[in-house]
Parts: sequence; structure tokens; C-alpha cells
Amino acid sequence: MQQFLDTLSATVPLEGYLVVGAITFAIGAWGALIRRNAVVVFMCIELMINAVNLSLVAFADYLPNAGGAGVGYAVLVIAVAAGEVAVGLAIVLAVFRTRRTVNVDEVNLMKG
Amino acid sequence: MNQTVGQQLIIAAIPVLPALVFLVLALFGRYISEGAQFVAIFGVATSLVFSCFALFFVARDGRPIDFAVNWIDFGAGGSFQMGIYIDGLAAVMLVVVCFVSLMIQLYSGAFMQDDKRFAWYYAVLNLFTASMLGLVVAPNFIELYVFWELVGLCSYLLIGHWFEKPEAARAAQKAFIVTRVGDAALFVGIIMFWRATGTTSYEGIAQAAQAGFVGGSLFTAAVVLVFVGAIGKSAQFPLHVWLPDAMEGPTPVSALIHAATMVAAGVYLVARTYDIFVQSPTAMLVVAYIGGFTALMAATMALTKKDMKRVIAYSTVSQLGYMMLALGIGAYTAGIFHLYNHAFFKALLFLGAGSIIYAMNSYNIFDMGGLRRRMPVTFWTMVIAGVSLAGIFPLSGFWSKDAIVASAFADHYYVLFAMALLTVFLTTFYIFRAIFVAFMGEPRSEAAREAIESPGIMTGPMVILAFFAVISGLVGTPLRDFFAEIVVPSEFATEALAVEPHEFNVTLAVVSVVVGLAGIALAYALYVPKPERATALARRFSPIYTFLDNGWYFDALYDRIFVRPAMAIGIFVRQFDRSALGSFVTGIGRGAVGLGEKLRPLQGGGAQNYALFILVSVLLLGVIVGAQYAFLTVALIAVIALAAVALGARL
Repeated sequence: MQQFLDTLSATVPLEGYLVVGAITFAIGAWGALIRRNAVVVFMCIELMINAVNLSLVAFADYLPNAGGAGVGYAVLVIAVAAGEVAVGLAIVLAVFRTRRTVNVDEVNLMKG
Repeated sequence: MNQTVGQQLIIAAIPVLPALVFLVLALFGRYISEGAQFVAIFGVATSLVFSCFALFFVARDGRPIDFAVNWIDFGAGGSFQMGIYIDGLAAVMLVVVCFVSLMIQLYSGAFMQDDKRFAWYYAVLNLFTASMLGLVVAPNFIELYVFWELVGLCSYLLIGHWFEKPEAARAAQKAFIVTRVGDAALFVGIIMFWRATGTTSYEGIAQAAQAGFVGGSLFTAAVVLVFVGAIGKSAQFPLHVWLPDAMEGPTPVSALIHAATMVAAGVYLVARTYDIFVQSPTAMLVVAYIGGFTALMAATMALTKKDMKRVIAYSTVSQLGYMMLALGIGAYTAGIFHLYNHAFFKALLFLGAGSIIYAMNSYNIFDMGGLRRRMPVTFWTMVIAGVSLAGIFPLSGFWSKDAIVASAFADHYYVLFAMALLTVFLTTFYIFRAIFVAFMGEPRSEAAREAIESPGIMTGPMVILAFFAVISGLVGTPLRDFFAEIVVPSEFATEALAVEPHEFNVTLAVVSVVVGLAGIALAYALYVPKPERATALARRFSPIYTFLDNGWYFDALYDRIFVRPAMAIGIFVRQFDRSALGSFVTGIGRGAVGLGEKLRPLQGGGAQNYALFILVSVLLLGVIVGAQYAFLTVALIAVIALAAVALGARL
């Protein structure tokens, strides 16, 4: 029992964080590629961003020589993501107003 | 270097001033427009004054003005120089060129009035003068060749001045291409000299040849090639065909080309390089016989022409033949003397023809008639020029022509002598035929009946030229030959030729004048009292008449031999260019377009497809350049992502 508790309270190895990040990223990528609803696509992109943030913070913690730079990057990414969501949702709204749909596969204005 | 810097500047300014005028007029001509003539005349008049200085310096010092700077330096390989070399010959040429050019520019002010490219006309006229002056002062072949080409270019521009007329454009091209044949030969000759002697200066080549560095058939070939260049520029047989067609240009331009600039260049080149020519007796004989034959041939061609300017044009070809003949038989001074006299009366003849054209807008002498009363100044100046050309005592043409004929006789060139004497007869006949038909009898057209004399700015230069056409010969009379004191062949040339000086032959002079008068008499008899006689005669000998009227069919011959094959080659090349090269290039273009069409469906416009491309590409990049640890991570992501894509594709 004690051993189990020790295991629980032991520090998580770096690989753990990275695997979780990778899985989250993959789920996000999968969602962003196949979901039709633009809002869901955005949520998936957020997932990918957060997966990357998780990796950054993990590295910042496990690599002392990095001097915590990863945390700084993570904050930067969060800020950029916020801006990106604001713009993206505005686009989605604009598209919805003109086309009455938020399905990305019905929007092909970029056709070459 | 035997002059002060001031002198050198004055001398250098002679060709530079008209060149500056060209720059000014070419750049600002559209603002100056009608004022262009004053700028131009100022430039040329100053050059004329400076040329007189140059003549004075040379005559006073008795030695040439000679200075040069390095232009292209090859180090140990020698150098090309740009310089100035003025002996008596060059000084006389400078004065003649400037003087004739000045007269023509004065005259053009009225003749070219209301022309829409007035300033450009004056600009090119000045460039023409500048290039001819540069050619005259050049001390070596390279500098000469530069100006030689410039002269050719200017003649092209001026003959084609009215390029809206297709004939003018064609004539300009013909002049350029035919003289180009000669230019190419000249260039080959120059290269041969340079390769053989390592120098391009006339003096250097002459000395190298004397010392035996170059000789034999190579030397003769090079000299003959240089002479072919002169043939092209001076319109000698067989490259004479461009000159009559060059009449499409404005008439004052014809006067300039014929009197001072273009065609004189060829004769001048032979005279300038005389020390080289005399070392090849073969080349000298070629010069003499080409000259003699051309003189006779062109005179016969002029007999039947109906176009006033063409008669005079063929007369130029013929007279240039005389000069070549004189140079070829060693009568150096006589040849140059004829060039000098010819400049005045030939310019005058053209200005007179221009005056008639200005008055009645036709070139055809059979449209004229009776102009004697309507245009007295033109008539009398033309008669003076005609008599001078005919070589009747005591006008200028007599002195030089007689000197040439007498030299041919005294040096036992009897064939050439006969040719020359026959040409005297033909010359007087054709020129007085033109004058009589144009000025005597009754007017044959409305325009001739209403013709009025040209304005003073045109008749003024004509009167001045007429004055010189009368007296210019007096500087070279047997009593006191000033001309022969200034223009002398070098001592070396005199020795090499071994021409013994001959006395003035009175009998011969009388014979040549009588022959000339006979020509005038025949022209009068045929064309004035009963013009039907001439027509009847022409009908009776119609094959000969047509043969002469078509210029011995040279144009037709060249058309068959050269022009058509060249056109055929051109058409073939164009066809090759279009079908082979053109389709190759078009093929590349079409391929790119086709590939684009094929790739177009990939750009479906779906944002998610694009995202997929990005993801796959990044993964591939990661796999390729990934580092050891990163590789594992990326490979993991890749597997998951591919699985996700596969899953997504099924959904």
C-alpha cells in the first residue's frame, strides 16, 4: 500500500507529460482535420495548442539549463491563442452571416 | 608634338564642334525647332574658320600637325591611338568639307522649311560633317574606321529622312547594306595589316612594308581589301548601285553626300594611305582600271536618265572614277585637285536641282522646260556648274580634269586615256542635255509655267558656289601651281612611282576642250531646235537605250544573285525560328500551363485539406531532418496522425 502511495506521490517522469501532450495533440489534429463544424475545429486547435504548452512547461521544469524559458513561451502561446480565437470566431460569425452555415466543407472560397 | 596646346585645341575643335552641335540639337531639338539652323551654322562656320587656321599652319610650317593620345593600351601588345594628323591634303579637305557643309546648311534653312523633323535633320547633318572631319584628321586605321562607320550611319539616316516614303526607306537600307559590303572588306584589310605589322597607323604600316615586314600576295590582298572599302564608300564599280537610289533623300543631303562627305571618303582613304598603295603595283593598277571603267560606265548610264538628280548622281560616280583613275596612275595631286574642284561644282549642281524641285516639285526634266526665264539665277549658276563639270577652259573643272587626262597620256596609259577622253565627251553631253531640256524650249507642265525663283537664302549659297566653281581651279594653273605646293605625295611615294614631271600639254588641253564643246553642241543639236530628233534616235536604238536606262541591268543582276538568295535565307531562318525554336518555347509554356491544370484540383478550397497537407509535410520534414530523440516523438505523432487520417477518411 505504502509502495502504491509512494508511486502516486513520486515525481512524474518527463516522458509522461510528453506522451499526454502527444496524445492530446493527435486528438486535436484529428478533430481539426475531420470535424465539419467550425466551432469544434477551433476547439480542436485549442487542444493542439495546449498540448504544445504542456510539452513546453514540462521541458521547462525538467531541463534546468533552459532557465525556465519554456514557461515564458507557454505564456506567449496562450496570448497568441487568445488573439487567434478572437479573430477566428469573428471569421466564423462573418461566414455564418453571409452563408447561414458554419460547416467548413461548405465554405470553399479559396478554391484555386 | 610641335604645336602649342592652344593650337592643338583649335585643331581638335574642328571635328568636335559639329559633334557638339549634334548633341545639343539631338537633345533639345524639339525646343529649338526652327532655331536649329542658327546653332548648326554657328558650329560649322567656326569649324570653317578653324580649318582655315589649320591650312594656314600647315602651309606656313610646311610640316604636318601631328599629335595623339593612347586610347586602348594593350601594354606590351602596343596600343590603339586617337589622334590628329593634318598635312596639306587633310587641311584642304577640312576647308572643303566645312565650306560645302556651311553652304548646304544655309541653303537647307529654306529648302527644309516646314519639315516636321527640322531640328533632327540639322542634327544629323552636323553629325555627318563631324564624322567626315574626324575621318579626315584620323592618323590611323582604327580611328578612321570609327568615323567611316559614322559617315555610313549618317548617310543612312539622311537618305531615309523621309522614311514615311517606302522608296526612301528602301534606298537608305540599300545604301547602308551596299556600303557595308565595302566596310567589311576594309575591316578585314585593317586586321590583316594589324596582324602583319602590329600597328594601325598609316605611317607605321607604310614603313613596315618598306622594311619588308609585310609583302607579297598578303600585302597586295590587304591593300586591295582596303580599296574595296573605298569602292563601297565612293560608289565605284561594282558597288555603285546605291548612289543613284540615294537620291530619295532631301536634295541638300545629296549635295553634301556627293560633294564633301560620304563619297569623297573613299577617294580620300586611297590618297591618305598612298604610301601603302604605291608599294603594290597590282593594287595601283586595280585602282586605276576600276576608276577608269567606272567613269565611262556611269557616264553612259547618265545619258538616258529623265530624273535631274539621277543624272547628277551618275555624274558623281563618273567623276569619282576620274579621281580613282588619277590616284591609280600616280597623278596624286591631280586626283585630289579634282576632288577639291568637284566639291564646288557638284554641290552647286545639286543645289540648283534642289532649287528647281523647290519651285516645281518634280524631278523629271521632261516636266520642266523654259525655266531659263522663270529662274535666271538657277539657270546661270547651273550653266556655270555644267561648264565647270564639262571641263571647259578656264573654269575650275578644266584644270583638274585636264591634268588627269594629260597624266594618263604622258604615263602611257593609253586605254585609260581613251576612256577618260570618251568620258569627257559623254559628261558634257549628259549634263547639257539635262540643262537644255530643263531650261530651254517651252514649259511642258503647268508647274514649269508658274515656277518662280527660289528665295535669297537658297540662291545666295548657289552664287557663292558658282563663284568658286569658276575660280577654284586657278590655284592650280600651270603658271603657278599653289595647290601642288600644299598637296604633295610623300617623297617616298614620288620615288616609288618614279613619275617624271611632265609639261603642260597645250595640244591635249585643246583636244579635251574641243571634245567637251562637241558634247555640248551635240546636246544642243538634239534637244533644243528639234527635240523630236532625240526621241527618234532613242526609238531607233531602243535596245541600247533600255540597257542604259536600266543602268546596265546591275540592279536586276544583283537582285538575282544576292538580294533574292539573301531574302530566301531570311525567310528560311524566320520559318525555322517560328517552327523549331518558337514551338520549343511555346511547348515549355504549354507544359507549365498543363501541369498547373493537372494540379488545380488539389486546391479544392477546403481549409481542412490544406491543413492536412501542412501536417503531412511537417511530419515528413520531421522524419527527414529529425534528431535522435525528436525522431521518436515525431514518429509517434506521425503514427497517431496517420491513424487519425485513416480513420477520418473512413468517416
